[in-house]
Amino acid sequence: MFEPIAPRVVGIPALALAFALATGFADSADAVPAFARQTGQECAACHVSWPELTPYGRYFKLTGYTIGKSAITSEGFQYLPMAVMLQGSVTNTRNNNTVDPSTNETTTVNQRNNSALFSGGSLFLASRINDYFGGFIQWTYDNLATRADGTLGGHSSLDNTDLRGAYKYAPVGAGQPEWVFGMTLNNNPTMQDPWNSTPAWGYPFTTSPLAQTPAAATIIDGTLAQQVAGLGAYALWQKTLYIEFSNYRTANVLGNIFRAGQPYNTPGGVTTLNNFNPYWRVAYTKDWGVQSIMLGTYGMVANVYPDNLDTTTPTDRYQDVAIDAQYQYITDVHTVTAQTTYIREKQKYNASYPITQATGSGYGAGPTPSNPANTLDTFKLKGSYYYERKYGATGAIFHTTGSSDAGLWGTDANGNPNTPNSSGYILELDWLARQNLRVLLQYTGYTKFDGARSNYDGNGRNASDNNTLFFDVWVAF
Amino acid sequence: MRNYQLTLFSITLMCVAGAAASQQPAGDKPPPVTATGYSAAVSKAVNLCSTCHGPYGVSVSPEFPNLAAQRPGYLAAQLKNFQEHTRAETAAHDFMWGIAGPLDNETIAGLAKYYSEQKPAPPHPGNPALIAKGRAIFDKGFPDRGILACATCHGSDAQGNLDFPRLAGQNATYVVRQLEAIQSATRAAPVMHGIVQNLSPEEVVSVAEFVQSE
Repeated sequence: MFEPIAPRVVGIPALALAFALATGFADSADAVPAFARQTGQECAACHVSWPELTPYGRYFKLTGYTIGKSAITSEGFQYLPMAVMLQGSVTNTRNNNTVDPSTNETTTVNQRNNSALFSGGSLFLASRINDYFGGFIQWTYDNLATRADGTLGGHSSLDNTDLRGAYKYAPVGAGQPEWVFGMTLNNNPTMQDPWNSTPAWGYPFTTSPLAQTPAAATIIDGTLAQQVAGLGAYALWQKTLYIEFSNYRTANVLGNIFRAGQPYNTPGGVTTLNNFNPYWRVAYTKDWGVQSIMLGTYGMVANVYPDNLDTTTPTDRYQDVAIDAQYQYITDVHTVTAQTTYIREKQKYNASYPITQATGSGYGAGPTPSNPANTLDTFKLKGSYYYERKYGATGAIFHTTGSSDAGLWGTDANGNPNTPNSSGYILELDWLARQNLRVLLQYTGYTKFDGARSNYDGNGRNASDNNTLFFDVWVAF
Repeated sequence: MRNYQLTLFSITLMCVAGAAASQQPAGDKPPPVTATGYSAAVSKAVNLCSTCHGPYGVSVSPEFPNLAAQRPGYLAAQLKNFQEHTRAETAAHDFMWGIAGPLDNETIAGLAKYYSEQKPAPPHPGNPALIAKGRAIFDKGFPDRGILACATCHGSDAQGNLDFPRLAGQNATYVVRQLEAIQSATRAAPVMHGIVQNLSPEEVVSVAEFVQSE
């Protein structure tokens, strides 16, 4: 573990440094991230406003990240297939104090409220290998990770990773590929997806590392990120129909490389799956004029060991089925994009419920549900407008509802089983001072948090007390 | 000869003598097409270029130009200009410098030949009033303002001539952006700059609407 790099001291200089690094680089392709060095193209070629992808960016991803030149050719070293991303931020939590009415003890919610901080950064190794293979490997240093004792500290780990092989088939006389076939090896369900309506690359693209966030999330929505390894195959037909099947398992393979840095030896540290956890994705996509749409469905079945350290027990089953859609209108001057997704999760506590009923506790650090089965639904909708790809505004809503279950979510102020329900909205303003430098101001407002609008924790804390104002400087080079 | 006629004659002379020199070094001709180059070009066109320029060079998005039936000498010159960074308006810089960079001369010649052989993009109907106004500018120019008729170099049907590009069926959005880039000199085209610099925004739109409808 690392001590945080003097966060309060270097906060403002960190923000200034990030800004200076980005503005100090010339507009040449040498000064932008790895794939830009590979392709020789600017960010705007593949990204609406990174990380959101344009149709060309989606094609770049689905063809295995292979467009452009290799880092090393017969003519020698061409470019460095690496990139760095840094973020500095300030977070304001609306009500940063919570008071226990029984003891009148005040607890600080956000330990670094209103402080300019170096949030962290990532190192990317991203490149084509040849005409058929390419990859994206991200290693992240989180300067504000929460330790087991609740204090903040630096932590380093492998982030999103996607290794691909792809083959384009065009019959003689065709004007474009009829098929793109590919395979992906990755460590986060939906990380491999080229649309920005699925969880891994969905909005919000960055959030405060210090904000209070709802407890409940479906298993496909980040719960398994960097804890699993998935191998899948996909096909894109006439740039219209996309189909993918993948299987995920816990990433205790190849020396745990795909989950490097995760607390997999800590009780409750990660989610452990058995070996067969299928994932699917079907999408219909259509481009016309400057517009494109996608209508799709995706999902997975995850068989989870209740105690992440014990793989001898039965498993609980989480079945996620989702529908999603994306719309883009992209011109040089005006860009409008929208994404939405609805995930319905059925939770079958085939292991945790019987043991909880029999003994009053679950397996190890595993769940202790009061019900044999629950549901959890999440809905997200986002719309963005960008002017000249430089000035942007985004609005989003989110809504999570689920079964009431005292064993999982406790009881409310009236002693009734609580729900995981949360809802709210996000408003964001963006300024791309340069194509590789983003300054954003984001406000997240909660109308419901962990089951209630008011007094959700029993100590008088309201959902809106967690409203968060987040200022971020985000640079990549 | 009156002043405006002298101006018009001079511009015509420069145009005939090699207006394309602004996009192509004087004396250059498209490199010869080889079997290897053509094969590589077809693969590149089908698997990469089609992503933005569409199957067979007919683009889906009007932000990207049609390449179908384009003059081969002009196409080759543009790819070289992207490669050498002498064409540097925003889209050229952001998209095409990287695409053209790794191309060898054989592939460039092959691409020029491949797209020149494709069926032209279909005309797009548009605003009749704008089209009529654009047609008049295209056919006659503005002699009193020293603005040469576009047809002089680009052909009576906007089909192109020698290395002067085909404009017929070209996306109006793209044509407007290029004329604006030439007017502001962000796209280096000295002779074209001299011809179009005094066109008003409405006249630019009219011409673009007309050529898109051809």
